[in-house]
Amino acid sequence: MNNLVFGKYIPIDSFMHRLDPRAKLIGLFLMIAAVFVPKSWWVFLVIAILLALALLLAKIGIKMIVQSFKPMIMMMIFLLVINALTIKTGDILFTLGPVEIYSDAIFNTLFVIVRLLLMISITTLLTATTNPLDLTLGIEWLLHPLEIVHFPAHEVAMMVSIALRFIPTIIEETMRIMNAQKSRGVDFENGRFSEKIAAILSLIVPLFSVAFERAYELADAMEARGYVPGAERTRYHVLKFRFTDYIFILICVLVLTFSILSRFYL
Amino acid sequence: MPIRFKKLSYIYNKDMPYAHKALDEIDLEIKEGVITAIIGETGSGKSTLVEHLNALLLPSEGSLEVLDYNIVANQKQRFLKPLRKDVGLVFQFSEYQLFEETVIKDVAFGPLNFGFTPEEALKRAAEALKKVGIREEDFNRSPLELSGGQKRRVAIAGILSCDPKIIVLDEPTAGLDPQGAREMIDLFVELNKKEGKTVIIVSHDNEMVYNYCDETIVLSHGKIMYNGPTFDLFADKEKLKEFNMLEPQIVSFRNDLCEKGFRLSRDARTLKQIAKEVAEQVKR
Repeated sequence: MNNLVFGKYIPIDSFMHRLDPRAKLIGLFLMIAAVFVPKSWWVFLVIAILLALALLLAKIGIKMIVQSFKPMIMMMIFLLVINALTIKTGDILFTLGPVEIYSDAIFNTLFVIVRLLLMISITTLLTATTNPLDLTLGIEWLLHPLEIVHFPAHEVAMMVSIALRFIPTIIEETMRIMNAQKSRGVDFENGRFSEKIAAILSLIVPLFSVAFERAYELADAMEARGYVPGAERTRYHVLKFRFTDYIFILICVLVLTFSILSRFYL
Repeated sequence: MPIRFKKLSYIYNKDMPYAHKALDEIDLEIKEGVITAIIGETGSGKSTLVEHLNALLLPSEGSLEVLDYNIVANQKQRFLKPLRKDVGLVFQFSEYQLFEETVIKDVAFGPLNFGFTPEEALKRAAEALKKVGIREEDFNRSPLELSGGQKRRVAIAGILSCDPKIIVLDEPTAGLDPQGAREMIDLFVELNKKEGKTVIIVSHDNEMVYNYCDETIVLSHGKIMYNGPTFDLFADKEKLKEFNMLEPQIVSFRNDLCEKGFRLSRDARTLKQIAKEVAEQVKR
């Protein structure tokens, strides 16, 4: 459970951590668009160099980024197999039994994989450097214009932030209950199918009752402090764009422009 | 055979930017057959320490000897099940671990996992429930219907039914009323005196530690600050000051008496013994 890297916040202080969450969210959308538009390797190279720079500024080791790729390995292999069987253009590189492997199959797969890896790295960079609560504040700000069409932006943001807030708590509870059941001889890793069902049951049932208990407690605590859904609320934590935030967005806009232009000129 | 920690360190989130050394080269011996308390402020590493005792956590460095088991850092462990049967660990707020339909089935869950037959498991469960003071008419109720204190007793019975040689309890009295806490402690003392179990209690409650625990370990920032007889710790004003702890009431009373000129021996630790020695000296 502790090995989950994708989406995990790293609570340290760095240049990237100090950027405004709204700037980082906008940057994320711009950069992901920039990754998906181009057909040229050159754009990827530019994005990768900027990404490496951002990682350096975020004080996040390359190790963590590489770890976040792990869950994708199966998908990449799957992609390679499908492409190898279906794409029949370019030169024949080699034959595997009855299957002829074409250069375009390998090339296209590599292209998509690099695209995916860049996208995961960018997202990991965002979640690793942004406190989940700041992230929801940013999301709420971005959703704000939708309130004109009566979209409950604040309520949605509150729900998201409560959900995010409870992930570590629920993980902690899960670990605690798992440890308690392990102490009673439950083996979560090995065993026959029926034993595994019993093991999972011994975890799920207490977890549910704890989650409900927590939810009631939170609802009481919120009501006790005068929370009314939909009421106008002031903020304790006010987000403020600074000069560096504008520069950051500007760089992202430039990358996207370069990426779009590359389709016509490269 | 005592429990021995040898240069044991434990690092959370090893190899991550926010790695944290929770235990720092611990050398420690915990005596067999006595009640030992582990105290220290929050985050001092108490829970990390006890989770090593039944191999829920494995040492990052160093090693640990428990009963006949030897746990060494970076080695694959093969005896997890027998070790966990012999070392019973009761967690903080253990009432949340109950999940079976009936109380007795929940308590029999552990023995079943450790390979006892269903009949034997139920027999052990009934015995354990009686020990913790759950009435027979409650055996077939749902554990979720019980009160908080009763749930915790059932959870403790769930460990006792596995018949461990060492029982480790993390804050067993937290959140209980004084009467409930008292009964809980009496149960541990009885398990220790009558059945010779080694009992290890993690606690914040200095009064309880002084009154019931033979040995005390003080932990701070992942290091052992004190390991020895409980009385020697609490009678030492310098040490209490160093660890930022309050004198238990009886120790204050004893110190006041000594100041007034009474000569109390090392044996005069409980109210009863103090009263006896004072009475003798008043007679003379």
